[in-house]
Amino acid sequence: MAVNLEYVFRETVSNLKRNVSMASAALLTVAVSLTLVGGALLVKRGVDRATVQWKGNVELSIFMKADASQPESDAIDRQLKSMPEVKNYRYVSKPEAFEEFKKIFANEPDVRDSLTVDQIPPSYRVVPRAAEQTKIIGQRFEDTAGVFRVSYAKEEVDALVSVTNFLQIMLWAIAIVLLSAASLLILNTIRMAIFARRREVAVMKLVGATNWFIRVPFMLEGLLQGLAGAALAFGVVWVGRDLIQNRIAGARNDIQLFKQFLVTSSDVTGTGILLLIVGVVVGTVGSALAVSRFLDV
Amino acid sequence: MIRLRDVNKTYKGNVVALRDVSLDIAKQEFVFIVGPTGSGKSTMIRLLIKEEKPDSGRIWVAGKDIGQLSSWKVPLLRRNIGCVFQDFKLLPSKTAYENVAFALEVIGRPPHVIKQQVPQVLDLVGLTKKRDHFPNEMSGGEQQRVSIARAFVNRPLILLADEPTGNLDPSTSVGIMRLLDRINRTGTTVVMSTHDSSIVDTMRRRVIELDRGVIVRDQARGVYGAFT
Repeated sequence: MAVNLEYVFRETVSNLKRNVSMASAALLTVAVSLTLVGGALLVKRGVDRATVQWKGNVELSIFMKADASQPESDAIDRQLKSMPEVKNYRYVSKPEAFEEFKKIFANEPDVRDSLTVDQIPPSYRVVPRAAEQTKIIGQRFEDTAGVFRVSYAKEEVDALVSVTNFLQIMLWAIAIVLLSAASLLILNTIRMAIFARRREVAVMKLVGATNWFIRVPFMLEGLLQGLAGAALAFGVVWVGRDLIQNRIAGARNDIQLFKQFLVTSSDVTGTGILLLIVGVVVGTVGSALAVSRFLDV
Repeated sequence: MIRLRDVNKTYKGNVVALRDVSLDIAKQEFVFIVGPTGSGKSTMIRLLIKEEKPDSGRIWVAGKDIGQLSSWKVPLLRRNIGCVFQDFKLLPSKTAYENVAFALEVIGRPPHVIKQQVPQVLDLVGLTKKRDHFPNEMSGGEQQRVSIARAFVNRPLILLADEPTGNLDPSTSVGIMRLLDRINRTGTTVVMSTHDSSIVDTMRRRVIELDRGVIVRDQARGVYGAFT
């Protein structure tokens, strides 16, 4: 079938002009829902990447008593060296630990000044070969002489991951609801456009226009709405990611967890392309469905 | 050209539109379908363009069994059939020229064909001077001419006219009938439903009379009244 492109574009444009308010409502709904979808996807990317880092560095810290003797400390050092499960470890001396402590509480002078170097416990930071071995290694040292406490980073990481997982599920749920709303709106917009032109559609059918010929301008209209909405969502996600990333980079805290939460611009581009595809598919399929109800012979 | 065999059609609520209708219409024939309102005339026309499906029976149009026609081929069937209605069915936002051109545009005819065909057919129906007028700037007779031009511009094998003079005064009707007659002489089969007795009596063509969905008379060179 020779599709007359000029005809198709003329029809599409006049349809969109006729229904500016409905078309923009559909467009905005697509944009909002796809923004959420994109946000959820990017948060997932960041969390995935951070989790890999966290998991690779899951540390357990063996805190010595502040008054632990040198032989006690040496015994632990030897034991760590001999354990095959230990990937590497590092001794954090009193002055080093004190520096770290001062950094963490830099904004709270009261706390910062309440302790002296001597009161800070030195510690061993141990990186296990596999995250699963963390607990086993830790338990061996819990009752050793001179050990104050063994603490596991994993528990904190787990708590964080479960929070972000929950957030993601929420974002997904909201995005899905909004995306269905967007499809329904597009469906409705197209239906109204067809209703406004039912005389023309009737004449077209009467003189033997094929269903595809009648359908294409409406589908193009839906496609444009979906595409524009997705592009808007793309823009919002892009700007939003920049803002958040700058915030994290600019903040003068040393919280490693956030530093590791990295979303690269290629992540954003990939997600954006996905959004555009979803937008186009939702728009086109939605309007195709809307038209077919009017084309029943 | 048109053949119906044992065609039955009943609408919801047991309203019988056609019952056991069988008929043959040859190529180039001019046939009147007469009968009171509700006798099944319009249903027959809707069946021929496959806007409705019969409950039983078979229908051939231009040698094809249209019951066997897959739905995507229905548009091709309709390109062979021109349709004219009592209410013209013109698009109010388009001029006479555009209304006729639209019919060619939407079946994908190239612009140079449209530019050539439309003026020709407007000339045939005598509306060359009114080509840029909108439907609401034209009389009923002129609007019906536009609608005939639109039905004929694609040179269909068959022209179906469902009470084309139903909204027109007698003298205007005569003009429309002359036009349909001319189209018939070009080799197009014309089937026209009407309950305008004077037209049928003047034309003296084949008359098929329907009464409550049943063919009660099929007469060559007939008149409107049921007497012979």
